[in-house]
Amino acid sequence: MSSFLGPYSLYLHIPFCRHKCGYCDFNTYAGKEDLQPDYVRALCAEITQFAEAAGERLPLHTVFFGGGTPSLLTSQQLEAILSAVSEAFELLPDNEITLEANPGTVDLASLQAMHAMGINRLSMGMQSANPAELRILERQHDFDDVVQAIDWARAVGFENINLDLIFGLPYQSIGDWQRNVELALGLNPEHLSLYNLTIEHGTPMEKQVGRGLLPEPDPDEAAEMYIWTMQHLNAEGWRHYEVSNWARPDDNGEPLACRHNLQYWRNLPYIGLGAGAHGFIGGLRVADVLGPGVYIERCLNGALRKFPRTAATASVNEIGPYTEMQETMMMGLRLLEEGVSSSDFEERFGKQLEDVFAEEIAYLRGLGLLEKHDDRWLLTGKGRMLGNQVFMQFV
Amino acid sequence: MSQEHIRNFCIIAHIDHGKSTLADRLLQLTGTISDREMQAQVLDTMDLEREKGVTIKASAVRMMHTGKDGQEYELNLIDTPGHVDFGYEVSRALAACEGALLIVDASQGMEAQTLANLYLALESDLEIIPVINKIDLPAAHPDDVAEEISNLIGSNPDEILRISAKDGTNIEAVLDVVVEKVPPPKGDPDAPLRALVFDTHYDSFKGVVAYVRLVDGKIAHQDELELMATEAVIRPVEIGVFAPDLQATKNLSTGSVGYVATGLKTVNESRVGDTFTHNEQRAEEGLPGYQEPKPMVFAGIYPVEGEDFDDLKEALEKLQLNDASLVYQAETSQALNFGFRCGFLGMFHMEIIQERLEREYDLDIIVTAPSVEYEVLMKDGKTLTIDSPAELPDEGDIEEIGEPWMEIQIFTPTDYYGAVMDVATKRRGIYVSEDYPTQGRVQLNFEIPLAELIVDFFDQLKSRTRGYASLDYQFKEYRPEDLTKLEVLVNKESVDALAAIVHKEHAYHKGQALITKLKELIPRQLFAVPIQASANGRVISRANVKALRKDVLAKCYGGDVSRKRKLLEKQKKGKKRMKMVGSVEIPQEAFLAVLRLGDD
Repeated sequence: MSSFLGPYSLYLHIPFCRHKCGYCDFNTYAGKEDLQPDYVRALCAEITQFAEAAGERLPLHTVFFGGGTPSLLTSQQLEAILSAVSEAFELLPDNEITLEANPGTVDLASLQAMHAMGINRLSMGMQSANPAELRILERQHDFDDVVQAIDWARAVGFENINLDLIFGLPYQSIGDWQRNVELALGLNPEHLSLYNLTIEHGTPMEKQVGRGLLPEPDPDEAAEMYIWTMQHLNAEGWRHYEVSNWARPDDNGEPLACRHNLQYWRNLPYIGLGAGAHGFIGGLRVADVLGPGVYIERCLNGALRKFPRTAATASVNEIGPYTEMQETMMMGLRLLEEGVSSSDFEERFGKQLEDVFAEEIAYLRGLGLLEKHDDRWLLTGKGRMLGNQVFMQFV
Repeated sequence: MSQEHIRNFCIIAHIDHGKSTLADRLLQLTGTISDREMQAQVLDTMDLEREKGVTIKASAVRMMHTGKDGQEYELNLIDTPGHVDFGYEVSRALAACEGALLIVDASQGMEAQTLANLYLALESDLEIIPVINKIDLPAAHPDDVAEEISNLIGSNPDEILRISAKDGTNIEAVLDVVVEKVPPPKGDPDAPLRALVFDTHYDSFKGVVAYVRLVDGKIAHQDELELMATEAVIRPVEIGVFAPDLQATKNLSTGSVGYVATGLKTVNESRVGDTFTHNEQRAEEGLPGYQEPKPMVFAGIYPVEGEDFDDLKEALEKLQLNDASLVYQAETSQALNFGFRCGFLGMFHMEIIQERLEREYDLDIIVTAPSVEYEVLMKDGKTLTIDSPAELPDEGDIEEIGEPWMEIQIFTPTDYYGAVMDVATKRRGIYVSEDYPTQGRVQLNFEIPLAELIVDFFDQLKSRTRGYASLDYQFKEYRPEDLTKLEVLVNKESVDALAAIVHKEHAYHKGQALITKLKELIPRQLFAVPIQASANGRVISRANVKALRKDVLAKCYGGDVSRKRKLLEKQKKGKKRMKMVGSVEIPQEAFLAVLRLGDD
């Protein structure tokens, strides 16, 4: 066990989709719905095995159902998973439990059930409000489905809702993007995740672009969209707390950030369970097997393994202290307001950040990409646009 | 072994016609190498050779075979390099043989490359033994191929051997026909020693190992020997034969093939084409055909990171131990700092050296665009020899620039006559004459500046003739030409390593093409980078590499930090391979852009 006292975060992967979108390279599968009941049993088994290996009920402050499309699970299945979680872990009272949902896969009753079982944050895959763009992305819903889903969610009591949108799409103009953002804002979400499209290797979209069936998006236009978004949301009172994430301030003026994702960015320990899920705990980065079939097989038949492994663990990598320091920089600098605190760093690693990375800091400062505000190292305005040039120095 | 029982031969074949497979079969059949030790292409020991399927260094192997007459024969197979850059090395290897197996693919027939080598072999007076290989292929048409060969070299089509090296058909007959047809070496055993050096390699224990063919006289392992051209005197560390690895013996007899481990520390003292004789009883003159290695193509090689300079130096020293034709000297570039000016036999040779530095020595290097050697006559009457555009003096001080011209011969099927004409004349080639050595084949002779030859000429020739054409070249003379320096400015600074010497007529067009290409190849930086080409102080072309505006990974991939890290590592690695020139990162490809300006 590490010296970390918690609280921890728990990621649960649900690798099912009705259709795999053309741009998506996540570990998710369409047409394997018949595996769902077994998968849920396997996931519950893995949760239990993990807790057994830990020998204690670790304290959790966030749970995140990611996918895939977790909203494809039935209420009973979600309930079963959550009750396995609360048995295996100590779910802290002030928790954040997020579920990723696709519009068109939820209804009033299912949302009602989710809220009742303790899920208190919804992350809705809106992606765009424009029918032509949704077609290019191969999404299975339209904007009306989003409006309807949000209405229902509000009606059953959800008070923390995120909308996912993608910009820099083929054919998308800055005007198109601005309309998408305005329509999203009209739904009064608490949180916005606005991602620049990456055309991932091996995806159908990559092939379409390669064959000239889709134009390759112009990176300069995407830059314009990003700049406009920063300015516009800032003027609307939003807080740009991470490269791709914005949150409304709460009553205390703090951004209503996704606490689960903050755990990643602060490079703090999290547990990842489910097919292809990643965890970082006890100084180890672990990952589970990718395929749901193998995953089920392993979890239902496997023996107990040494913490933090489970029967489904496929890879384990030890992170040395220097790598952990690097990753703390690489992830932490994504947090635009918080950055990496010099004193926290010293407390955690027993070393001065400025000594460990003297050369990198001098280089990046010289380029005007990095700056220090009081105790915190932060990306500059230019650095936000060119984050990779900064993060790269810490790998 | 008595002279009567020695046969020295080589194999002539087009690439892919099965030379290496046949060599492997012969080795197996004669028990020279056991099946267990068998590794495809035994003779090509370098990884690069296996990959490219081309022999870069010559090598030799001795096989013992009992002939049909029941007597035992020593068969020495000498493998020859397979590229036009190594023409001299090929000629020396052929000079060590009395016969050659001409291997022709039963499905493809005679090809141009084979023809070129065949002519070389005929010039060396070798007995040519045609062999039709790959008769196992469904598409084989050995009768037609036999007819074709017979038209060319006048042998009886029915007597031509038909084999399959792949499945082993008729391999024994190949050995028998070598014994029967290849004449035994002539040579006088009682004359003063003359042994031809046809290749060398460096061994850290034995020093330079010279591969020799004894023409006259004998060698005993205690003999004091002299190399006639370099005048180096040595007492061999060891002498021996290739069996197929080095196997020490006490004597080497007249006509045989073996090695002399010289103990010499550099190949400069023991060069291909030189003649060993006895120090006590010298031969009157060396064997004919010796030439000093003459580099034709010059390029700068620089470490990407300045601190790797010493490693690069050491690597070049080591490579030169095995390769006397590689020359280098330290040079300084304003843009690239400290590196080496290197001379190569040709572009292929240059690529080989570049790849070996990168792979075998794990160095990140920048190779600048190759240049030829110019003779610059100055107004004050002096003549300068320069091999780098950076060295070209001020235009005002120059009376005349002499450019090296070559004679080239291109063999091709007649169908590609027009294509070959086009490729050559577009590159300032001047048509001289044509010959028709065989039905359907033409040899076209041109004169062309060497500078045009080294700029993707061979690639273009190959692609326009679907690989059928082959090329041979020799130096002709220096001719005064109207040349000028094309300079390139990156971020307003002249980058000497990107400059080129071009014909004035082409300066404008080449300058534009070069800038277009550079704009593609130089990645976007944190600031906008203007690039310009100029000649005679006049800007010909300009473009801007736009500033990088946005470069940041959008998503976190569900806590998969390793993946994010890997993506960043990849990006960083790409960056590290670029050379910092001023404040601009320039990738290797940009320095060779002038070679890839294309046809139009």
